Amino acid sequence: MRRTFLGGVHMNEHKNTAKSPIETITPPEYVAIPMQQHIGAPCKPLVNIGDTVLIGQKIGDNPTALSCPIHSSISGTVERMEKRLTTNGSFVEYIVIKNDYKGAVSSELAPHTILLGDTSSEKIIQKVREAGVVGMGGASFPTYAKIQSAIGKASVIIINCAECEPYLTINHRLMLEHPEEIINGTKILMRAAKIKKAIIAIEDNKLDAAEKIADNITDHSLIDVEVFKTKYPQGDERQLIYALSGIELKQGQLPADVGFVIFNAESCAVIYNAFTTGMPLVSKLITVDGECMKSPKNLSVPIGISFKDIIDFCGGLTHNCDRIITGGPMMGVAQWDLNSVAIKATGAILALPALTETEPHCIRCGRCVRACQMHLLPALLAQYASINDFDMCKELNIMSCVECGCCTYICPGKVPIVQHIRNAKQELRARQALKK
Amino acid sequence: MTDVVIALCPALFWSIYVFGWRSLTLTILAVGSAVGFEYLFQYITKRTITAGDMSAVVTGMLIAFNMPVTAPLWLPVIGSAFAIIIVKQLFGGIGKNIVNPALAARVFLLSWSNIMMAFVQPMTSISPISVTVSSETIDVISTATPLATLKTGMLDQSLLLEKFYGFIPGCIGEISVLMLLLGFIYLLIRKVITPHITMSFILTLAGFTFLYGYLTGNASPFEYMLHHLLSGGLFLGAIFMATDYTTSPFSPSGKIIFGIGCGLLTALIRIFGGYPEGVSFAILIMNSFIWYLDKWTRPRVFGGNPEKAEKKG
Ligand code: SF4
Ligand code: SF4
Repeated sequence: MRRTFLGGVHMNEHKNTAKSPIETITPPEYVAIPMQQHIGAPCKPLVNIGDTVLIGQKIGDNPTALSCPIHSSISGTVERMEKRLTTNGSFVEYIVIKNDYKGAVSSELAPHTILLGDTSSEKIIQKVREAGVVGMGGASFPTYAKIQSAIGKASVIIINCAECEPYLTINHRLMLEHPEEIINGTKILMRAAKIKKAIIAIEDNKLDAAEKIADNITDHSLIDVEVFKTKYPQGDERQLIYALSGIELKQGQLPADVGFVIFNAESCAVIYNAFTTGMPLVSKLITVDGECMKSPKNLSVPIGISFKDIIDFCGGLTHNCDRIITGGPMMGVAQWDLNSVAIKATGAILALPALTETEPHCIRCGRCVRACQMHLLPALLAQYASINDFDMCKELNIMSCVECGCCTYICPGKVPIVQHIRNAKQELRARQALKK
Repeated sequence: MTDVVIALCPALFWSIYVFGWRSLTLTILAVGSAVGFEYLFQYITKRTITAGDMSAVVTGMLIAFNMPVTAPLWLPVIGSAFAIIIVKQLFGGIGKNIVNPALAARVFLLSWSNIMMAFVQPMTSISPISVTVSSETIDVISTATPLATLKTGMLDQSLLLEKFYGFIPGCIGEISVLMLLLGFIYLLIRKVITPHITMSFILTLAGFTFLYGYLTGNASPFEYMLHHLLSGGLFLGAIFMATDYTTSPFSPSGKIIFGIGCGLLTALIRIFGGYPEGVSFAILIMNSFIWYLDKWTRPRVFGGNPEKAEKKG
């Protein structure tokens, strides 16, 4: 029996790009790099308009608070700084850099020459911070802070390579093409967090990658591969831990509270590269796909490149394109503006056709109930949320919903369950805030 | 829903074989008027037309299945009108009705009790198209339905095996347990329903009647139990009506409690009530509890109940 969890759904995987090697995109004329790409305090720009910047040069930081430095992804001139509206409604400062196409790399970057065994945990953490590494699974928590919080608490590192969302194949490609980067990055993380055991978690639709990784591991007592049943949302932290250990994270608990700390595959690779070449996180691996993308690809793109440039490189959109989504189709965010840019958290850009509109109606088939990984009653939550009975929603534990979208995906009545739930949660949160 | 229609077909074919083409006539009339009334209602009230979603087809089939083959041709039309307009649409349409429309219609039609109880022996030839069937031309056995004899304590004459494959007087769709079981297996394979409700319903009734037969000194409590199981549309009700999505609980434990409730009520009504027919009433009564069942039996939230966790910590 493959490791798995209760609930969830088997999806149409759409892993169309699983055979597309990672290509490097042609450098764009401009990049616009936001000063906040992580959870924590925004960075303050370290450059001025007119300055010349080099690849890997630090252009933003905020040493006083939880933050994470940001580096230039191309060489060129800072043309302007501007505030732009983000999808969550706040304004963020962007540094717009015009490419000089010289590809000049900052001279400050140098490989880490001391043996890993002789490098202290503090030194590694410092280095990880300077490399600007954040979680790339969506939440963008600064990786150095995660390591710090795990020291002494967690005893097992999980490298999350589940990649359970449809379409996404970039981690799959990374595992196939650069298994050594992931494994060596894992070793650095183990040393930094003072942890002796790491598990690389892979779903069983990527057995070739699992094999590749396993072949490259020298000591299986330290790092091992675990294969999980392919089911969404296996990559969810809670369900990873549950499938591995049978432990259920309580609401508000962090993985470290039960002895685990979870990193994603790409973070490992970035950390490894930062140690071997000195290059911080300046480019991002993404899957570009969707029915409306003319030629889907796996790409390495400079941070700050606009979606338009990326889509153009992939042959453009077909006429029936209705939505652009960043991230997977389940948890991803719809974008309205093709001037939006790829940031550290961007894992995919999907162009999808319109959904067939039908009048939603619940037939009470109970499928959403069986699919809910948090063991809620989505049908009733949606029903009470849609008639604004928020107290009832609360009683039915609506706040435990993690908005994974399984219920909406499986619903034969096309009820936009998650949408209803989100509205109700927002309302409840607002009420909570009023009380305080 | 198409799967449910397919699952009902073996029973339909069987009834055509046993009772002749009039079974089909009644079924077509019930289905046609169910879909027609749904369309009409939604058209007049300017709601989205969902009449094509097969749900009304299932309702229509079940209504016809619950009447004897001698029923006048207007009976299925009235039944469908009641089920679709009053029970389903006036409560807001699919997924919002409180009780199962087909069942409610059956109970409603029982007010024409002499018509609804006019059973005939298998292989009686009846005109498939005459509007009414006069009791002079055929041998109607309205007084002694199988369940009625069971109630008086005497076991009826027909053999258990005949009851199992369905060569007995009875309603169109309920006579053959075998054909209904085929449908059940199909529904399970297609994952349309889970076995919880059907199994707990039937097992509860089995256990209760066996115990009752044993305690009251019946010579063969096992046979007494089997007669109960094979009579009175139990399988039709337990497989196709009690499992209706709209009117059954979500969680597995809720479904089991629902099934046990149906089984107990059926036994109580049959044995102690003044009425041989318990399945319909039992399901209708349990239907009205699903709101509570859903709340009581909801699954434990992943990671435990957050409210309790808060209080503790
Ligand atoms: S899956 Fe959709 S139709 Fe089925 S119970 Fe849930 S909300 Fe209702
Ligand atoms: S979105 Fe919420 S309610 Fe729906 S399946 Fe996921 S956790 Fe359950």
